[in-house]
Amino acid sequence: MTQQHTGAPLSGDPIDGGLSKKGLSAGTVGLIGAVVIGISCIAPAYTFTAAVGPTASVVGAQVPAIILVGFIPMLLVAFGYRELNNRMPDSGTSFTWAARAFGPWIGWMAGWGLVAATILVLSNLAGVAVDFLFLLIAQITGNDAIADLAGVTWINIAVCLLFMLAATTISYRDMQTTQKLQYVLVTFQVAVLLLFVIVAIIAATGGNGFDSTPFDWSWFNPFAVTSFGAFAAGLSLSIFIFWGWDVTLTMNEETKDPERTPGRAATVTVLTIVTLYLLLAIAMIMYAGVGDGELGLGNPDIQDNAFFYLSGPVLGPLAFLISLAVLTSSASSLQSTFVGPARTLLAMGHYGALPASFAKVSPRFFTPGYATVVSAIVASAFYAVMRALSEDVLWDTITALGIMICFYYGITAFACVWYFRKQWFDSTRSFFFTFLFPLVGGVILAVLFVTTLIESINPDFGSGSNVGGVGLVFILGITVILVGVVVMIWQRIKRPAFFRGETLSMDAPESLRRGRR
Amino acid sequence: MSAPILVGYTATKEGADAVAVGVRLAAATGAPLALAIVLPADDRSVITPPNDGYERYLQGTATQWLAEASAMVPDAVVHSTLVRSGESFAEGLLDTAREIGASHIVVGAANGGLRGRHRLGSTATELVHYADVPVVLVPRGARKTPADTGIPRLTVAIGTRPGREALMDEAVALATAADVPVRLLSLVTVDLPASVDTGVIRIAGAAHADDVLKRAKTALPAGLASEVIVGRGDSIEDAVEHLTWEPGEFVLVGSSRLAQRGRLFLGATAAKMLHALTVPVIVVPRTRAPKPETPKPETQQPDTQAENGASA
Repeated sequence: MTQQHTGAPLSGDPIDGGLSKKGLSAGTVGLIGAVVIGISCIAPAYTFTAAVGPTASVVGAQVPAIILVGFIPMLLVAFGYRELNNRMPDSGTSFTWAARAFGPWIGWMAGWGLVAATILVLSNLAGVAVDFLFLLIAQITGNDAIADLAGVTWINIAVCLLFMLAATTISYRDMQTTQKLQYVLVTFQVAVLLLFVIVAIIAATGGNGFDSTPFDWSWFNPFAVTSFGAFAAGLSLSIFIFWGWDVTLTMNEETKDPERTPGRAATVTVLTIVTLYLLLAIAMIMYAGVGDGELGLGNPDIQDNAFFYLSGPVLGPLAFLISLAVLTSSASSLQSTFVGPARTLLAMGHYGALPASFAKVSPRFFTPGYATVVSAIVASAFYAVMRALSEDVLWDTITALGIMICFYYGITAFACVWYFRKQWFDSTRSFFFTFLFPLVGGVILAVLFVTTLIESINPDFGSGSNVGGVGLVFILGITVILVGVVVMIWQRIKRPAFFRGETLSMDAPESLRRGRR
Repeated sequence: MSAPILVGYTATKEGADAVAVGVRLAAATGAPLALAIVLPADDRSVITPPNDGYERYLQGTATQWLAEASAMVPDAVVHSTLVRSGESFAEGLLDTAREIGASHIVVGAANGGLRGRHRLGSTATELVHYADVPVVLVPRGARKTPADTGIPRLTVAIGTRPGREALMDEAVALATAADVPVRLLSLVTVDLPASVDTGVIRIAGAAHADDVLKRAKTALPAGLASEVIVGRGDSIEDAVEHLTWEPGEFVLVGSSRLAQRGRLFLGATAAKMLHALTVPVIVVPRTRAPKPETPKPETQQPDTQAENGASA
């Protein structure tokens, strides 16, 4: 693209709801399609294996409670997200919305938060995929030594980089599987997880678990968590496990029945996911307990990848199914995750918040090519450095990721509240969806963000990795944000137009009640 | 010829090659030119969540690319631009061709080929094995041939197999419309399987080739300048390389026997020719399907976008 600010519909002119609603091929994604995309974006098999350990380490047996409570801010913020998306559909999402509501500086940081969070999760996803690749080979060949290769730093990094390369190529070329295959993969993933649940619960009730713990309703009691700090840390992790769910809500224009499909798809997706998570959490605690024994969820050695250690003891010869489910779920999630930062970086390049190269679209594959490649390089470099620094990189990136999600989702929620400030009292509906829900969601996320950040200063936080007596998670979180600030100031000097609001102006739609003509 | 010539455009050098060849063909035959970009339909996306904002951004970008492509077209050629979406670029092009009743589809070479050579990309491959209208394959660097070169001559590669009538019809129509001489080429003597006793058959083949060419020549309407030539060499590639080509000349080849009625299927000989040719190649369907037999099929998705910036 040679002329950035002419022609393209995403130019800096005020975007309003009256903008043509026509997509390129509107009316194509059906209910099942939307649910499948939703579940494959969340990738429950991957998410759960990465998050259950760290969550159990802070809240103990109250994992089910935290999962349920964690859904509340996610739901509230998703409502705001949907309102913003309806009003200003834009590939920059949080970046564009925050800039429209609060101006270029906060918008820039929201975009940075989104990009940083997705880049963190990309590296984590690839890391988990590496573990399971070796585990799968070990399970199929019957040679346990192969699984240990994942622990050799250089092999791990090399294979991870290959994974990233493959995912980047697929993403850059926009290679899609067939719908059928995707349906099969998602069904397979859910079925295998259910199998794991059933077998683990039967083993545990028969007393054959590792640390058979009888089910207790107190697991659902969030007030049983020992401290508020632990509660907040657990919540920011459980926000991660629902991350990606919001896409089902925002697919409104492409669905077959835009009035009802997105709402139903979101409901079906979330019910499936919550049920699955609760069952998995209960099954794992019943089977392995939360102690720090060999297989206990409290054991730091297994916490960053619970399925990796538990699938063998629980499922025996069928354990390879779990490895396969996690691998396929990470693989498809890698691709959908790539899209997020790439599209946001593209919007940032388009509006002049980053170099114009980021706005380039591949003329052959119609993907945000430059932004995709940059995201991949940063994620790969990040993983390589982190892996070399810390053995517990997966764990710490997940926790840092929770912090980053709270950061940019929080900003997005407040952006919704502030952007619609003149319309709050237009109707009961707008009062709840543009004011109350996103406000409460945003406040919860803000509290989680600050509390988790403070907690993470403690060197014992997370995996216990620390640099100079300060927790690694804190250093990660703060570094990511500070680097963002530095890059932002640098871009302010190089590209002042965006920061003067010339490309993306602040706005607040007028109240419809007064504006009625 | 008033049916439009459809160019499948990408904002790449190969896309510019395709526009240049489309322009020459349109200018020579007096046909209008339609430049189209086919964006991926979002129902093909089963992993990545669709995003309205991005879709719109793509559409804007495509419109802008087409505006840049339009600038390459001389004012004398009537042209319009279209943005469409499809399951694949090739499928979208075929739908668009049916929609506008295009006479030809022009596509550029794949990325990474040698300068001046043909290299079929996935879109071209799909088209030459399925299309129901002639497909024009463009070698890399074709944009460097000046637009005023026009079409100096048409070379028609004649075999002995069915489909020749459709090929001859196309050649005659094109040569008449563009008012250019035709060169009839036979590669029969070269085009032999390695296992046969080539010495004997070559002699027989030569006579056969002469006969075929002679008959083809008589089939040409009077007043159309024509010559005949028999390619010689160790292989098809070798024979083609030893022929002389006028700058800007077009080659017409027919479809293989594997083609369905009315469809294209690039045969083995034609594929070998492509390796050596440095001029645009028009692949013609096996038989010209009678028009009533190919009604416009119902498109899967409603065309939600209007024709973009038709300009004259």
